[in-house]
Amino acid sequence: MEDGKLSRWQMIAITVLRVAVGWHFLYEGIAKLSSPSWTAAGYLKQARGPFADLFKWLASQPNLLANADLITMWGLSLVGVLLILGLFTRLACLGGIGFIVLFYLANPPFVGYFYSIPTEGSYLIVNKNLVELCALVVILVTGSGRFAGLDVILHGLFGRRTPSR
Amino acid sequence: MAGDDEKVKKTPQTGAAGPRKLDRRDVLKGLSTVPALGLFGYAWHRQRQYQQARIEEAAAAPVAAGDVQEINVALLGAGAQGQVLTDAMLRIPGLRFRAVCDVWTEYNQKRVVNSLKKFKHEVNAYEDYREMLDKEKELDAVVIATPDFWHSQHTVDCLKAGKHVYCEKEMSNTLEGARAMVTAARDTGKRLQIGHQRRSNPRYLHSYEKLLGEAKLLGRIVTINGQWNRALTPDLGAPDRYAIPEARLKQYGFRDMHQFRNWRWFKGLGGGPIVDLGSHQIDIYSWFLGVNPSAVTARGGNLYHDPATHEWYDTVMTVYDYDTPVGPAMAYYQTQTTNGSQGYFENFMGDQGTLLISESDAHAAKVYRDPNAPAWDTWVQRGYITAPKVQEVKEKAEGVTDVRESVSPDEHKVPIVLRDPVHQPHLQNFFDAVRGKATLNCPSEEAYATAVAVLKVNEAIEAKTRLSFKPEDFTI
Ligand SMILES: NC(=O)c1ccc[n+]([C@@H]2O[C@H](COP(=O)([O-])OP(=O)(O)OC[C@H]3O[C@@H](n4cnc5c(N)ncnc54)[C@H](O)[C@@H]3O)[C@@H](O)[C@H]2O)c1
Repeated sequence: MEDGKLSRWQMIAITVLRVAVGWHFLYEGIAKLSSPSWTAAGYLKQARGPFADLFKWLASQPNLLANADLITMWGLSLVGVLLILGLFTRLACLGGIGFIVLFYLANPPFVGYFYSIPTEGSYLIVNKNLVELCALVVILVTGSGRFAGLDVILHGLFGRRTPSR
Repeated sequence: MAGDDEKVKKTPQTGAAGPRKLDRRDVLKGLSTVPALGLFGYAWHRQRQYQQARIEEAAAAPVAAGDVQEINVALLGAGAQGQVLTDAMLRIPGLRFRAVCDVWTEYNQKRVVNSLKKFKHEVNAYEDYREMLDKEKELDAVVIATPDFWHSQHTVDCLKAGKHVYCEKEMSNTLEGARAMVTAARDTGKRLQIGHQRRSNPRYLHSYEKLLGEAKLLGRIVTINGQWNRALTPDLGAPDRYAIPEARLKQYGFRDMHQFRNWRWFKGLGGGPIVDLGSHQIDIYSWFLGVNPSAVTARGGNLYHDPATHEWYDTVMTVYDYDTPVGPAMAYYQTQTTNGSQGYFENFMGDQGTLLISESDAHAAKVYRDPNAPAWDTWVQRGYITAPKVQEVKEKAEGVTDVRESVSPDEHKVPIVLRDPVHQPHLQNFFDAVRGKATLNCPSEEAYATAVAVLKVNEAIEAKTRLSFKPEDFTI
């Protein structure tokens, strides 16, 4: 790597990261879609932390909840597919970051919060959600889709040549 | 962007702006991660195949050829609990779902029908249970999970149509209703199991048979306390697009969608938290003590909720008196719906030890030996209970004996864990009974006695006085 540019191997590594995160999103979405009774209500009702009231309120509004359920199920799946394909990668990253921020805020592992939802690890401020969020930020800023992904083709077909920056 | 810059270096520039040409390398790079999606599809397919195979295995396995006939089942009441029971039944071999009946055709009915379809149970859906009983001639059993005030009519009609019935607790919101159910079961000779599922829970059975029955670990039980504390939960709602037309709501006894969804809180429909939650645990009090209560005192009120939307008491504290063969006993029970502290459990205290038991794994079951009680080593050796915590510590730190460690009462765990959904053993027991291979763990007579004890609490609150029971109150 010279002058802050990423080497071929670094880009490959980031592409692998992108596909892995996408895979996880896609399966989270599909698993919810294929479970007939899935709803975010339980998760929302368990919310703790500074935004707990907002999430609980959301869970208590049946119309909003139904929409939130649909958006979550389809949104996660869509973000997953886009990340795997490297299509509209930046948009997908932003969408994914949005979802994770919400999940994170609903149950933030801040000092002094304990949860009735059992977790399989031990977290303080940083949990796996936050790590996945950071991964998406890396993918976002390195534009992995334009290295390996349908964005390359899209860019080739419709993109404007960037005059030397 | 880094990726672009690399590209810029490699492809000779032709102009400042304008569409770029795609070369072969670009197309390959573009498509390079598409196979990952294919791999995902394959993995997902395999995962579904695996799940499907497990289901088919369960459905096929223990029904030895010719030995046991498939039982044709219908679900009546496909709400939250109807779904839970369905999920548990899907794990029980030898059942064939034939029909689902629910008046909420727009939502609950569809949901359960769809979930059954995924497991290859093609069912007919009905709104009116009488039509279902008319048309589904081959049904053997009906599982009922409608609101409490429908239980009696549904159960009696199903029994009279010649079906075995598993009906959710509370068996009825009125004693007349409950009596009619017991009588119908007797008259028709069909099995009627009531859904007090702790009666089939291995943890409770082990405690009842082994710890209290055989080992008599507690000595003489003198006091009991128990609770179901529940954190505030918002009222249940329904998306407008799934609302039931008013005429149909009225036809089935509901004022509006709010009442339809929150029937538990309304007089004449449910019995409030003391009946909804308390009946599970007060049922255990009498079961473990071996007698029904002789009197009840209770206080209750709407301390938190608005009685206009929550007619039944959100907070109840009650004390039962018992005359057991070995002497008097007293039991406290409380339920409130403003704070979920410590959840739900039953705590039995005898002169030799204490049993803390719960359906929830948060408490599981533990026994505490009182200092004056005879040693429990035999029961530890037999595996009825685990070695006490203090002993475990000593074993680990060999050679270091610290006398201070054994001061607090020894805590032994009850090493029985139920890995299946909590309703599965109770349903299994029902279907075994239908096949003539088991006796019911909660026949309607037992559940009737519990209904008598529990429904009296609401009466005692209103009467503001101690109400006594006669032994004949509990029998029909
Ligand atoms: N054993 C347990 O642990 C346990 C737990 C929860 C509920 N329950 C019991 O299960 C029963 C149902 O409770 P729930 O939480 O599922 O309530 P719910 O309101 O979610 O479901 C009730 C369902 O019955 C349907 N229904 C109402 N009237 C009907 C009628 N006349 N014919 C056909 N369908 C009708 C409704 O449309 C709804 O789908 C209650 O008796 C409750 O006490 C038992």
